[in-house]
Amino acid sequence: MRTVEDFVTLLRDELALPVTADDLGRDLDTVESWDSVHLLALCTILERETGRSLPFAAVLEAPSLDAVYRLAVRS
Amino acid sequence: MSGYTPDTAHLNAAHPDAAADALGEIRALHRSGRLAAAYPTVQRLLAGLGGADLLAAGRLLARLDPDDVLAAHPAIAAPAIAVTGHGTLSGLVPALSAELARLGLLGRLSLSDFDTWVLDLVDPDSALYAGRPAFVLLLLDPEVIADELPNPWRADDAEQVLAQKVALVERIADVFAATGRGATLVLNTIPLPHELTAQLLDLRERARLGAAWREANARLLRLAGTHPAVATVDLDPLLAAGVAAREPRAAVYAHAHLSDRLLAGFARQVAHLVRGATGGGRKVLALDLDDTVWGGVLGEVGPEGIEVDGGYRGQAFRRFQQVVRQIGAQGVLLAAVSKNDLEPVVAVLREHPGMVLREDDFAAVRADWGPKHRHLTELAAELGLGVDSIVFVDDNPFERGVVRSELPGVAVVEVDDEPALHVSRLLADGWFDVRELTSDDVARPARYRAERARRRLLDTAGSVDDYLRGLDITVTVDPAAPAQLARVSQLTLRTNQFNLNTRRLRPAEVVALAEDPAVQVLTVTSADRFGDNGLVGVVLTRRAGAALHIDDFLLSCRVFARGIEQSVLSAVLRRAHETGAAEVRAAYTRTAKNGKVADFYPQAGFVTLSADEAGAQFRHDLCDLPAAPPHVRLTARFEKDAP
Repeated sequence: MRTVEDFVTLLRDELALPVTADDLGRDLDTVESWDSVHLLALCTILERETGRSLPFAAVLEAPSLDAVYRLAVRS
Repeated sequence: MSGYTPDTAHLNAAHPDAAADALGEIRALHRSGRLAAAYPTVQRLLAGLGGADLLAAGRLLARLDPDDVLAAHPAIAAPAIAVTGHGTLSGLVPALSAELARLGLLGRLSLSDFDTWVLDLVDPDSALYAGRPAFVLLLLDPEVIADELPNPWRADDAEQVLAQKVALVERIADVFAATGRGATLVLNTIPLPHELTAQLLDLRERARLGAAWREANARLLRLAGTHPAVATVDLDPLLAAGVAAREPRAAVYAHAHLSDRLLAGFARQVAHLVRGATGGGRKVLALDLDDTVWGGVLGEVGPEGIEVDGGYRGQAFRRFQQVVRQIGAQGVLLAAVSKNDLEPVVAVLREHPGMVLREDDFAAVRADWGPKHRHLTELAAELGLGVDSIVFVDDNPFERGVVRSELPGVAVVEVDDEPALHVSRLLADGWFDVRELTSDDVARPARYRAERARRRLLDTAGSVDDYLRGLDITVTVDPAAPAQLARVSQLTLRTNQFNLNTRRLRPAEVVALAEDPAVQVLTVTSADRFGDNGLVGVVLTRRAGAALHIDDFLLSCRVFARGIEQSVLSAVLRRAHETGAAEVRAAYTRTAKNGKVADFYPQAGFVTLSADEAGAQFRHDLCDLPAAPPHVRLTARFEKDAP
C-alpha cells in the first residue's frame, strides 16, 4: 500500500467501510459504518500490507482516517 | 485449509490465484449488496481460504445482518451465540463469522460489554440468559489472572487468584446447568504468557506458578466431564503449533488479550462444536490411494514399488495410514476412491506386507477410471448417507478441483507431495469431532459390513417379503437408561429423513426430559441375523390428562422400511390403550428432508385433524389398533427397572 487510493481500497475491501478519498479527513465518529474496534484491525492489516511496524498508540488515538494513513506511510 | 498452524499456513500459497479469486468474489458480492442473498455460495468460496484471507472474508461476513440472510435462506441453521469475557471480545467476531459460514452455518452473535462475564453468567436473570443463546462463549485470557495480582507479587499470590477464578468458573458452570436451558457453555484453557512467568526470578517459584496454572487449566478441562453443558477448548495444542498467544500492543492498548490467530483457531473449534449440535456431522473419510495412502502410482511401479513401509517416505505414508486407522476405529467409515484397476488395488490391500490399512478397514473400495465425483456420489448412495457426510483426501489438485465444483457439500482435504505433512493436513480441521463418541458410533463400521451382507441377501431373495422374513428382525422398545441419553441426543441431532418433528435436542435437554415424570424417553434397538443395529430410534411421549402425545418419533435411515417403525408405533398405541388413554395425538412438521414420512401416522390409522404447508396434526382414538408386521419380533418395556 502506497497511495491514498490504495488506502481507500483497503478500507473498502478489508473493513467493508463504504468510504471515498473525500471521507478520509472526517472525524472518525462521522464516518459511515465506523466502529472503534476497526482501528485495532487496521493496525494489523496496515502492518501486513506495508511490512512496517506501526505506532499502535498513535493509531488508536488518530482523529481521522487521513491521520492513520499518514502514520502508515510516514518515513 | 487451516488458518493457524504453521505447517499448513502455506497451503494457500500453493494456490494463491484460487484464494484471491474466491476472496475477490466475496468482496464483489459485498460491494454489490448481494452477500446475504448469496450466502449459501459463500461456504464454497471459503473452502479454499485460510489465514488472513479467511479473516478478511470474516470481516465482511460479520457486517451482515443475520435476519437478512435468514429472510433469503430460512433453512440455514442460525444458532444464537453469546460471547462474554474479560477483555475486548470484538476480535473473535470476524473469525467466528468466517468459520461458521465455512461450515454452512450462520451465527447470530451478541457480544457482552467489557468485563461483564461474572454478572452475565452468575445472575440467572441476566440479559445474557434472557437472550436464550444456544451457545455461550466465555473467553478466558491471562489477564483474568494477571489483573488481580498485587504489585509486587509472588507465586502464592498467583496460586490464590487461580484457585479463586477457577472456583468462580465452576460456580458459573453450576448456575449455567440450572439456567442455560440446554445451551452449551464453551470455555477455553488459559495460555500462560512468558511475560508473566518470567517475572518470577526464583526458578522454584516460577515452577510453582507453572504448576498452579496447569492445575487451573486441568480443572477447566475436567469441567466438561462433570457438566454435560460445558465444553472446554484446549488452546495448548494451538500454542504448541506455534501460534502466538497474544500481540502485546493490542493487549496493552486495546485490552485484546488473545491474538487474532489464536482466536481464529478457537473459532474453528467452536464452529465444529456448533456444527455438531445442528446435525452436520461427517461420517465418511474417502481416500485417494496413489500418493495419498501410499507413495507412487500403483499402475506404474507395481505393488513392490509403492512406498508404504521402508525408507523415509514409506515411513511417512505408514504413519498416515496408522492415523487413518485410528480415525476409522472411532466410527468413521473409511472408503478408498482410486483411479486404478480394482484387482491390483485389492491385491495390495489384502497381501502387501507393508500395509497398515487392510481391505476390512474399508467400508467400500472403489477403483476404476471413472470421475471421482461420480464415485463419491455412488459411495454415498451405497452407504445410505448424503455426500455432505464425506471428507475427501487427494493429493491431485485436478481431482480436488472437480470434486469441489461438482459436489460442494464434500469437505476436501488437500495433501501434496510431502507425505510427512499428510497427518497434520488431515487433522487440521475437526471434521469428525463429536461432543461424545457413543458406542453406536464405534460400532458403525461393523454395521456397514453387515449391511453389505444384507444387500447380498436382498439380491438373492425372491421378493421383498422373502427378504424381510429372511432378515429375522428383532426390535426392543425400552425407557432410555442414563447411559443412552447421549446417543438419544445424537440421534435427534443427526436424523433428518425419518424424523417426524425434527426437534434437535442437546444432551442436557434430553436429560431434562428424561427427568420429567410426564415424559417417556423411549429407545428403539434392533438386530437381525447379520448383526446388531444398536440404538436406532427414539420416541418421546408425554401424558397430558387422557391424551398421550407423541412429541418425537425418529428412526435412523439405515433401518427404516423394514417394518420396525410400524411395530414400534403399534406398541406405543397398545400401551396407551392399556394405560387408560382415551386418545393419542401426534404431529408432523415438514422439513426439506422428511417428506417421505408425511403419511406415516395416517397409514397407521390416525385421523388428520389439520394440515397445511408447515405440517399436520393427527389423532388416534385407540378403537382399532394397527397390527404389527408379522416378520418383526418385538419386545416392548415401558416401565423403568426399579433402581
